[in-house]
Amino acid sequence: MLLTFKYNLRNVFVRWRATIATTLSVAMVVTVYVLMQAMAGGLVKSSQNTGDPRNVMIVRKGSPAESSSIVTREQFQLIQFLPMIERDEKGQPLISADLVNLINLPRHDGGEANVTLRGVTAQGMTLRPQVKLVSGRWFTPGHREVVVSRKMAERFASCAVGESFKTGLHKLTVVGWFDGSDSAFDSEMWMDADEARSVFDRESFSSFLARVSDPNDVAALRERLDADKRLTLRVDSEVAYYSEQTMTAKPLRYMGVVLATAMSIGAMFAAMNTMYASIAARTREIGTLRVLGFRRRTVLGSFVAEGAMLSLLGGLLGCALALLAQAACLAFGVRFGTMNFNTFSEVVFQFQITLPDLLKGLVFALAVGVIGSLPPAIRAARMPAIQALKAV
Amino acid sequence: MTFASFIAKNALRNKRRAALSILSVAVSLFLLVFLMVFLRLLTHPPDTAGAELRVAVRNKISITQQLPARQRPVIEKIPGVVAVTPFTWFGGIYKNEESTTFAQFATDPLKLREIFAEFKMPDEAYAAFAAERTACVLGKLSADKYGLKVGDRVVLTSSLYPNPLEFKIAGIYSGSQDDKNLYFRQDYLDENSEVKGQVGMWWLKVRSAEDMPRVIEAINKTFENSSAAVRAETERAFQLGFISMWGNISLLVGLISSAVVFTLLLVTASTMSMAVRERLREMAILKALGYQRPMLFAFILAESFGLAAAGGLLGIGGSYCLFTYGDIPKLTNGFISTLEVAPQTVGIAMAVTAALGILSSIMPGLAVMRMSVVQGLKALD
Repeated sequence: MLLTFKYNLRNVFVRWRATIATTLSVAMVVTVYVLMQAMAGGLVKSSQNTGDPRNVMIVRKGSPAESSSIVTREQFQLIQFLPMIERDEKGQPLISADLVNLINLPRHDGGEANVTLRGVTAQGMTLRPQVKLVSGRWFTPGHREVVVSRKMAERFASCAVGESFKTGLHKLTVVGWFDGSDSAFDSEMWMDADEARSVFDRESFSSFLARVSDPNDVAALRERLDADKRLTLRVDSEVAYYSEQTMTAKPLRYMGVVLATAMSIGAMFAAMNTMYASIAARTREIGTLRVLGFRRRTVLGSFVAEGAMLSLLGGLLGCALALLAQAACLAFGVRFGTMNFNTFSEVVFQFQITLPDLLKGLVFALAVGVIGSLPPAIRAARMPAIQALKAV
Repeated sequence: MTFASFIAKNALRNKRRAALSILSVAVSLFLLVFLMVFLRLLTHPPDTAGAELRVAVRNKISITQQLPARQRPVIEKIPGVVAVTPFTWFGGIYKNEESTTFAQFATDPLKLREIFAEFKMPDEAYAAFAAERTACVLGKLSADKYGLKVGDRVVLTSSLYPNPLEFKIAGIYSGSQDDKNLYFRQDYLDENSEVKGQVGMWWLKVRSAEDMPRVIEAINKTFENSSAAVRAETERAFQLGFISMWGNISLLVGLISSAVVFTLLLVTASTMSMAVRERLREMAILKALGYQRPMLFAFILAESFGLAAAGGLLGIGGSYCLFTYGDIPKLTNGFISTLEVAPQTVGIAMAVTAALGILSSIMPGLAVMRMSVVQGLKALD
């Protein structure tokens, strides 16, 4: 025979004073867990969202990122007219040789960071249509002008349209802001490629981005470049390249799990306390239930279910709090920045709560409730019925 | 029966509840100390021996831009400079690791010893390092992690330089801030690199702390209008600049610490209310016997404070012992090499414990003070 859920559910609410602390502490565990995972998720998404399946990224073999890669003008000559690479309407190959440099810039709130400054060609801009101008104008080739991602401009000093900053000996003027549609380009600044090479005194480039006529040509292009011993180049689809650039997320995920586990242990003690007290106060009720014919295991199950309900309530509250935090960040345009160890540069990100994160948070809550209520429930089930009835 | 024993008896009357409360406070304070120590690591790196005489020189554009080797004799001539070494990041990946797990720098062996005098290594190891071009020295933590010893050969594939390099371990050092790094010779790197005469950074030692500001200014001035303008700064400033790249991570840790403290407060406060509610009748009897309200409040306060203090002692003491005497590199899988529990951290954690004890007694204390004797005697549970 099963006890009705209603009995337990009502108990949770009737004794709200005792349960509220447990519920809130479980909610905190879940909030911390979900938000940590959402940060990691946001970091992953900040680069995973990038790339067109028809684009290929070409960097030097052995370089994990564009910023540490060097590719030469000779290599560019050798590959630009390969048949796999698509042509535009004017018959020009759709390939761009970019120069990526990291420059040290002060943040608004003090401190400083390395920012990715990309020297990009007209073809490079065609290949990345997700980057759109939102304010000011694009840079003029041949001028020392930069266009900054709006999300970066909000974080760094002297990035308003019309302002300028110095890097090395050269002064760069901000002439516009762009939006990268939540891609990795949201963590970049762009300028003219040739101008960038002159500013940073570089002969070579960092990477090539090209469009292939057919996604199957990625493999063909890789084969072709691997065969040529003069070229030590790595060919990746643009999507695959960017999905690899997310190393920083792992420690965050790991830390989220460790923190939530440790906090769960504290919350478990709290849940145990609440359930023990709740059961002690209901000794007569339990006696009555037993006399009415409810079995020991029914009583046990019922109290474990009550603990689970209590903590699930907390879990749901925690999820709601986390979602609220995300909504608030979105509404007020709050963004976070940290260093991506792969590229050694600042990456801007936003909370990204996913359904699996929420479900895992609820599993944490459920574990707290079930494990925390098990010892008190066993105690309740073991109570001799008559003695329990006599209790004051 | 004294008041003290009365309070103690009351606190321990329900031993299980007392134990659970103390444990939950202990777990939370342990976490709090850990988070504060971690936050401190992110914002105030520990001081290193010899740091007050060291200067770091990097390219003004950013640390990833290289510097021309021809700057070295110019820096060496600046009065007050005792020794200069190049310091070039190699970004090597060991065997089948996914990414760079320990740093490798190309240096000048003899100057390295002079500038980083805190490295502990036998004289013959230094001699071997200086004598052989392919020699390197490796930090003890990395040596232990990969089971490497003096005389072994290590091959590293660089993410920056096209050719992998093979090194022979001349010595294993310890005593530095982070005994993980590998140091090898700049001339060996130059020989195997297509770009010659480029270094990553300069590190130097000045004669005395008084010389420091002048030397820094002189270096910055000297290269101000050259093609490779530099930023010279103290080791401390360099570290802080590096750490600020973590960005909002410290804010995040701060927020989590607050969530932990808040949870902790809730749990203790609820336990205290529970304990008092059970005892409303007794409190009413005490009142009827003529005990004044402040006295009753004091009983509750003392009990709650005692429980919090016991939990605090366990949590703070436990974390202190673990972080001070435990094997941190092993526990964190090499992610963190030292966790230093600063006196301030212990102080803050103790203050939180005290506040917890006091705050959690307020609600039940007020309830008892307000309650009338008749109400209390009627109370059932």
